[in-house]
Amino acid sequence: MASTSRLDALPRVTCPNHPDAILVEDYRAGDMICPECGLVVGDRVIDVGSEWRTFSNDKATKDPSRVGDSQNPLLSDGDLSTMIGKGTGAASFDEFGNSKYQNRRTMSSSDRAMMNAFKEITTMADRINLPRNIVDRTNNLFKQVYEQKSLKGRANDAIASACLYIACRQEGVPRTFKEICAVSRISKKEIGRCFKLILKALETSVDLITTGDFMSRFCSNLCLPKQVQMAATHIARKAVELDLVPGRSPISVAAAAIYMASQASAEKRTQKEIGDIAGVADVTIRQSYRLIYPRAPDLFPPDFKFDTPVDKLPQL
Amino acid sequence: PMTPITPATPASESSGIVPQLLYAFKSRKIWNKNSENIVSTVNLGCKLDLKTIALRARNAEYNPKVRLASIQITCFPPLSSEEQSRLAARKYARVVQKLGFPAKFLDFKIQNMVGSCDVKFPIRLEGLVLTHQQFSSYEPELFPGLIYRMIKPRIVLLIFVSGKVVLTGAKVRAEIYEAFENIYPILKGFRKTT
Repeated sequence: MASTSRLDALPRVTCPNHPDAILVEDYRAGDMICPECGLVVGDRVIDVGSEWRTFSNDKATKDPSRVGDSQNPLLSDGDLSTMIGKGTGAASFDEFGNSKYQNRRTMSSSDRAMMNAFKEITTMADRINLPRNIVDRTNNLFKQVYEQKSLKGRANDAIASACLYIACRQEGVPRTFKEICAVSRISKKEIGRCFKLILKALETSVDLITTGDFMSRFCSNLCLPKQVQMAATHIARKAVELDLVPGRSPISVAAAAIYMASQASAEKRTQKEIGDIAGVADVTIRQSYRLIYPRAPDLFPPDFKFDTPVDKLPQL
Repeated sequence: PMTPITPATPASESSGIVPQLLYAFKSRKIWNKNSENIVSTVNLGCKLDLKTIALRARNAEYNPKVRLASIQITCFPPLSSEEQSRLAARKYARVVQKLGFPAKFLDFKIQNMVGSCDVKFPIRLEGLVLTHQQFSSYEPELFPGLIYRMIKPRIVLLIFVSGKVVLTGAKVRAEIYEAFENIYPILKGFRKTT
């Protein structure tokens, strides 16, 4: 009999004779069995995993064996709520044709706001194609913040946006505040404020952003070939190492590096285009570019093929 | 687990640099937005018709939308000592008196003092934020300076790459000096070598 043993099912039941034994679960019969003596300890254990496999896709709405949605225990407070379903048969409609018992809507009212926020997070993440792991991390962060209640006065959307920002940072693929702004209705200022508050509330910190974090995204959005991207990464890294750009935001340095690399290659991009993608003003790119321009020959990677030689690079 | 309250300072060293106090704010009812000015609202001990005062007194601005009902009074030049700020507040009470309100000069209190100085060497903010995570916040996207919240004394320092430091949140002058003496050896440790 195939069984799976689940450690987290332990807290409540142990075999009276062998308290240390890990109970083995037989989900087919709904039993929990002690492996030492074979005693059936738990009976009629409810399986909270996903439902039986259904192959037919046509009658998806009318699956009579479903007892409810698959639980999301990590996030909501447990989906143990009852809804009144749509009526069948004549008795469920009153004189005007409206259904009696219209109350389908109230479910898990205690976490309505949280579920709303999760929906909002998923929407935002979807707009910039963020993978599921970031969304999950964001949801977790939001839940922690929400339960703590220290940021209760702030708009949930602001907290959600800030959580999304933090999740991206924690996963090692930071998004700029402006990118998060683009998919959220909250201002950059408010997201920044919430960001700092959340870090304080959860007592976490995030790594500092570097120029390399954004290279692949910006270069792809500009349709630049891989060599240009690698060159830009190299230029930005070297510029920071040589301390040519003290005090400049890494985004601005990255944008200037992309400009330099693209201008040296066959795929030239204007400052305005780069500024649009990176979210920096073109004067900002100009500023940073002026700082790295004097050392341009040292910044390029050694194996770079110049379409425009270094001395012909635009001087702004 | 409590983090160390103050960074350790070797007893032998003194920085030899004295932060210069820029302005002293006293604000109780008046809310000051423009940091160049001294805000003075001592408790004048009487009800004021803010609109009348704002209209008739020079150097006074009244912004009714701001949550705290208050008048901003601007003084030039920025005041450099506590005594001067008290004087300015007295002068203002006089102005309000002349406008016909029975103003008195009660509860004068300095609420905030700001100081600035220069350590004269560039600083590696990235290193500082790495080692002093619990106190520092450095987000180049949000603000170019590192925001260091010292716990003892409770002062907020804005530390910049150039080596300039702004200290704020002090109620008395000594706190500013103490905070600076605390931070100076740390900053020396993160001096840029190139």
